[in-house]
Amino acid sequence: MQHALRLDGVVKRFGAMTAVDHLSFAVAPGEVFGFLGGNGAGKTTSLRMVLDIIRPDAGSIEVLGKPPGREASGQLGFLPEERGLYRSMTALETVVYFGRLKGMTAADARGRGRLLLDRFGLGAHLRTGVDKLSKGMAQKVQLATAVVNAPRLLILDEPFSGLDPVNQGLLEDEILNAAKGGAAVVFSTHVMQHAERLCDRLLLLARGAKRFEGTQEQARATLPARLEVVARQSPATLDGVQSASAGADLGDGWTAWDVRLSPGRDPADLLQQCTERGVPLRRFEQHRPGLHDVFLHIVGPAEARA
Amino acid sequence: MIGRILLVAAREFRQIAATRSFWVTLLILPLAFAIGPIASRFLDKSDTQRVMLIDRTGGGTARAITARLDLDEQRRVLTALSRYVESHRLERADPTAPWARHDRWYSDADVARFTAAGGIEGALSRIAAVKDADTPVFEAPDPDYAIVPVPAAVAAAPPDRIDTALAPLLRPADGSKAKPLDYAVYIPADFGRSPDVRLWANGAPSGGFVGAVQQLLAQELKLRYLQANGVAAPVAIAATAIAPAIAVVVPPRGSGRERVLIRSILPLACAYILLMSLILSGSWMLQGSVEERSNKLIETVLACVSPNELMYGKLIGTVGIGLSMVATWAICGIVAAFATHGAIAEMIRPALEPVSSVGAIATILYFFVAGYIVVAMIFLVIGAVSDSMRDAQGYLTPVLLVIMIPVTILVQAVLRGASGPMIEVLTWIPLWTPFAVLARLGTGMPLWQVWAAGALTAVFILVEVVLLGRIFRASLLASGQRTDFRQVIRLMRREA
Repeated sequence: MQHALRLDGVVKRFGAMTAVDHLSFAVAPGEVFGFLGGNGAGKTTSLRMVLDIIRPDAGSIEVLGKPPGREASGQLGFLPEERGLYRSMTALETVVYFGRLKGMTAADARGRGRLLLDRFGLGAHLRTGVDKLSKGMAQKVQLATAVVNAPRLLILDEPFSGLDPVNQGLLEDEILNAAKGGAAVVFSTHVMQHAERLCDRLLLLARGAKRFEGTQEQARATLPARLEVVARQSPATLDGVQSASAGADLGDGWTAWDVRLSPGRDPADLLQQCTERGVPLRRFEQHRPGLHDVFLHIVGPAEARA
Repeated sequence: MIGRILLVAAREFRQIAATRSFWVTLLILPLAFAIGPIASRFLDKSDTQRVMLIDRTGGGTARAITARLDLDEQRRVLTALSRYVESHRLERADPTAPWARHDRWYSDADVARFTAAGGIEGALSRIAAVKDADTPVFEAPDPDYAIVPVPAAVAAAPPDRIDTALAPLLRPADGSKAKPLDYAVYIPADFGRSPDVRLWANGAPSGGFVGAVQQLLAQELKLRYLQANGVAAPVAIAATAIAPAIAVVVPPRGSGRERVLIRSILPLACAYILLMSLILSGSWMLQGSVEERSNKLIETVLACVSPNELMYGKLIGTVGIGLSMVATWAICGIVAAFATHGAIAEMIRPALEPVSSVGAIATILYFFVAGYIVVAMIFLVIGAVSDSMRDAQGYLTPVLLVIMIPVTILVQAVLRGASGPMIEVLTWIPLWTPFAVLARLGTGMPLWQVWAAGALTAVFILVEVVLLGRIFRASLLASGQRTDFRQVIRLMRREA
């Protein structure tokens, strides 16, 4: 399978600072790929290199099988973190202009622009000047400029920042639609909830270097599993239990236990042991770690706060 | 690549053309030219100077002065009529008339012949018989002088009170609608025995007026002197009337010293228009290149076009706007030439003739467009290193002054027919080369210098595109960073 995007050992330095440090990853068509990291982790710099806005100092990048360049812009969609529009243009003119810059004919760009703006609820504002649109409407126009060419690779840099909840939902739908249509979607964010909802795979970045790449399950597996168990005896002696702290006394000998398994141990194994050893249980509940916890665990609190 | 450059250029062009300031700027020059003549009619300002002759000798001297001034006036009318006849090829109306001969200074005898043949009315009636219907009507120049009657208070004033009597006439009180006198000449009763005459002027007196009065009064004095010394009156009159018959050879119109000035009109106008259009459109160019940064658009745009494509697109768009503006002014001029039944065309035809060759037109167009690109490129980079229009305006004003002051001095110098090291030096400093060449084209600039200046300008534009292009590219994503002079040099020296 040919990757929609592939970075191999990419390095970018600004003076003495290494912004991106030997970064390698690949994104397949139809995949939603989260590019997670704190501020200054190197997300935007990496995406700018993918778009050929800046050039890497070392390593290689392939975009849809070719080196980065404007030749691929017809198959790329990009929504930057800092978003703006030409204030003197109308909503439709803006979408058509960017469609044409991406190689579409005027008629195609106009037709697709109308369709998108209609879908985004801006059908009555096609000829309204951008300077007269509300912030939420302008955000929709920005999104339309990114997807007007039905891109095969959609790159979104902190796409949810500054969006109102309605537009966040709209953007999530567009991301999922694009992926369903076979496009590879790469989006950077430091808001883990969006990544949890959307990403098939994700990459955690800190100080320009990759700290993790894989599925959400693989990411969660890097954290010890945590269970809430209500039993009459301590589960601390069971195999694979790292720690078990007694919680509330529930009466009649029952106690709530906060149990942590050793890394890599499966909660199902513990349940099986309890059954085999005849340990009575009134509750066995697994706490799924959030990506936020995973992120803190992998990159460290200091990096996460950056 | 070309397609994206043209898309950027077209957007840039449309954006500027959609602004109110563009249309105001575009129309302000034609409107000023249209309103100017209309306004001047309402101003009712006449150049005719008011003269009062206070003659205490009995009136003969005043009549003689009046006749002298009238003769000079008729000479002016005859000269103007001669130029009109020459311009419209109307000599066939009366080939023997003085106004049908243009290569001369009209003598008193010529003027007398003109007057005897009916003056301007007589000449125009003969011309009307041969003139085409679309030939414009001859408009005689306003007379230089008008003799005004002497008020009773002045006429009756004793010699030592003349100053007092004339004061309110020379300097009417504030708020008075009376027109002030320009000259008053007092000829005392003993004039002849005494040579003293007094003249009041409402400002620096004109040499022509004083000369005419002096010549006439000198004749009077000589006549009296000769008669007082026993010369018979007819001989004395003949002696004072003796004058050399100076045959003046006047070169044909548009030649001689006039030739350089006429040849320079169009190139000089181009230099001025280039300067004016750059001044007027400078802020649009800045706006164009500041916009992507100030509106946080730059990354979106750079994902679709390269920095070079963006720069070339903006350059073409803004140069296109400037040239469209100039083209519109030129079209307005042509329309005005037709609308005025050829009066303007007649005026500018001599200026167009020397530059009607393909080479001359190509040279003017080349230096005009090159001059625009040279300066537009600087404006674009100013915009690119600025975060806001306020920032950019801070750079714009000094840059405009640096361009404008030497160009203004240069154009004035060429207009005065001056030459010198400054003009030569400016010709070879690329920032001013296009202006200097345009200004000098009519003065007979050597061909090798035109070629060399053209090559220098082309090389300079290439260097600008490379060096300033580096600044443009490096500055696009450097929002919020102050670009000082050292930083600019550093950016020029290495590819960003």
